[in-house]
Amino acid sequence: MSDVLILLGHGFLNCFTVSHMLMLLLGIVVGLLVGVLPGLTLVMGVALTLPFTYHMDVTASIVLLTAMYVSGTYGGAFTAILFKIPGEPIDVPMLWDGYTMGRKGKPAKALGWTLVAALGGGLLSAVIMVLLTQPLAHFALRFSTPEYFAVLVFGLSSVVALGSGSLANALISLCVGILIASVGTDETYGAYRFTFGSPILADGIEFLVVMVGAYGIGEVLSRLETGFSTRPIEKISNARTELPSWREISALKWMFARASVLGNIIGIIPGAGATIASFVSYGMESQFGKRRAEMGTGIAEGIVAPQAAATASVGGALVPLLALGIPGSGATAIILGAFMLHGIQPGPQVMMTSAPIVYTVFASVFVGLALMCVVGYFAIRPLVKILDLPEAVVSAYVMTLCFVGALSIRNSVTDLWLMIGFGVIGYLFERFKFPVAPLVLGVILGPLTEAAFMNSMISFGNDWTVFFTRPISGFVMVCTAIILALPFLQRTLSGRKAVPATEGQAPGA
Amino acid sequence: MGKTALRQTLPYVVGLIISGILYHYAQQIDYTPRQGDLGPDFWPKVTIGVMALICLIEIGRRLIGVGQETHGIAETFEKEEEEEVAEKHPWMLGGGIVLVLTYAVVVTTLGFLLSTFIFLVSFMYLGRYRNHLAIWLTATGITLGAALLFMRLAYVSLPRGAPPFDAFTDFIRLIIGA
Repeated sequence: MSDVLILLGHGFLNCFTVSHMLMLLLGIVVGLLVGVLPGLTLVMGVALTLPFTYHMDVTASIVLLTAMYVSGTYGGAFTAILFKIPGEPIDVPMLWDGYTMGRKGKPAKALGWTLVAALGGGLLSAVIMVLLTQPLAHFALRFSTPEYFAVLVFGLSSVVALGSGSLANALISLCVGILIASVGTDETYGAYRFTFGSPILADGIEFLVVMVGAYGIGEVLSRLETGFSTRPIEKISNARTELPSWREISALKWMFARASVLGNIIGIIPGAGATIASFVSYGMESQFGKRRAEMGTGIAEGIVAPQAAATASVGGALVPLLALGIPGSGATAIILGAFMLHGIQPGPQVMMTSAPIVYTVFASVFVGLALMCVVGYFAIRPLVKILDLPEAVVSAYVMTLCFVGALSIRNSVTDLWLMIGFGVIGYLFERFKFPVAPLVLGVILGPLTEAAFMNSMISFGNDWTVFFTRPISGFVMVCTAIILALPFLQRTLSGRKAVPATEGQAPGA
Repeated sequence: MGKTALRQTLPYVVGLIISGILYHYAQQIDYTPRQGDLGPDFWPKVTIGVMALICLIEIGRRLIGVGQETHGIAETFEKEEEEEVAEKHPWMLGGGIVLVLTYAVVVTTLGFLLSTFIFLVSFMYLGRYRNHLAIWLTATGITLGAALLFMRLAYVSLPRGAPPFDAFTDFIRLIIGA
């Protein structure tokens, strides 16, 4: 424990250098802007920032991207509360109580609750992150390929089962992602797969190309189809934040803790991110909270639950990334990419080989949360002012960043073509209600899962029961079965509930 | 069986056809098999099989009308929102795709800076923004900003263009000192 504190202390000292603080501030501001702008998602923002970090020092680049990730979970709440425009899918639950509280004449108070929830949830999650990463990394040293395979399958299953929309569509989207990732030279046998004679395809398809295309170009095309017809923004001259009193906060302390721990746990699950954390936390509060009957009428619980969980998921998502080398979300996949660009492979060994970098990143999360609240408190008016920018201009700029992102990966125009292709696929997926998140997670986790599976098969003589007979992998596989059964169970239960309700109705009612 | 049911099956029929095509290519993966090896085609074939199976189930379910659609857990927690149906502009979407494809075609000839400038101006007009001065100034600003950021500060290698258009890139690089 004391060594963790010493390392964290050094991390804080390293974080307070001018260059790291500048990166932190830049990341916080850009993350808030990305959160505010409805056409720009958090993952897209982090992906588009990656090319800027190619020539940076590794710590500075991770600090920048992590700061964006943290503040991106908070910025969108401004526009959700003030204008009923969720900047991110994370902020949709904020419309139900945050916007309603604003409509009741208390927008400043709603913004205050958001700030406190983001800070509280983020800090608690950061503490858990620091305490959990090293023991988990030590524990993961016992992992062999079957355990890694089981954890990865659990991650892939959770992104499908915990999301919203059709389960079948999510599974198809995941399969498409895994197939995209299988393009190129096979790692185990060295054979070419789906390369069609193209040398650049032999190197595989970079997940960044898929992410920038599906999230960036796909989203801009979808908005272009609607003619960039965003609702006109009402003039908010008195946009400010009014912090709740200490008494008000302490009345909700258990709720804070519940939402933060839940967000942290969801963040730790590879595949489930801030959006799922936000929705599940709101749902839990609606079903089990003290004031569940009043949810949706503009109460503080309806703001704190999703916001605390969303920000808490960031600390959670960093745990599997650093301890196991498994990215838990789109944003952490890009952070993993940034680590690898600088020759560092996150995983159980990283705590021993690159501990100063890891603890500086940890410290930057604490400092970043405080900085985010200061910037969010004082700069809310200029931040929401960015919504005055015409959408055509913002989208044109986003497109330019997408082009640069694609061209800078391997300095190849083929990547640009691929990115445009994935942009069209992303648009079609959105149009036909196929979620994009499983596709992206499939591209990221697919190669890791395949490698773990193939190596297990080679090591254990093609005995697939190994995934179930080894204690850790067996336990994780049982968890996978449970998480996959949940949607079916929920459908059966909701069907049973609906039957008496319809039976009780008068004929023709 | 109505037209709606048939239309709803369309994405899954496409998925099934794609699965068939991919399976054909997966069978052509070239490697020297050894006894006991699963081979490099095993993983893609399993994935294609799962995808095809789901497509088949969905097609059958929609055509026969048996069983309900299963949804992810997060959907339980979503509240019914009145969805604002936005008017569709297919010509704008088509125009956007054409612009992006044209950009990819010309970027190696015109160079990153010139093609980006032309793209930005065209895209903003396509997006129905009509403040001419703002469009040209913004496009100039973003292009010069991108040049400064990526060519001078981040040292990203971007297409310079073919003669005579490379002169434009060189001129801008001279201005920004890259």
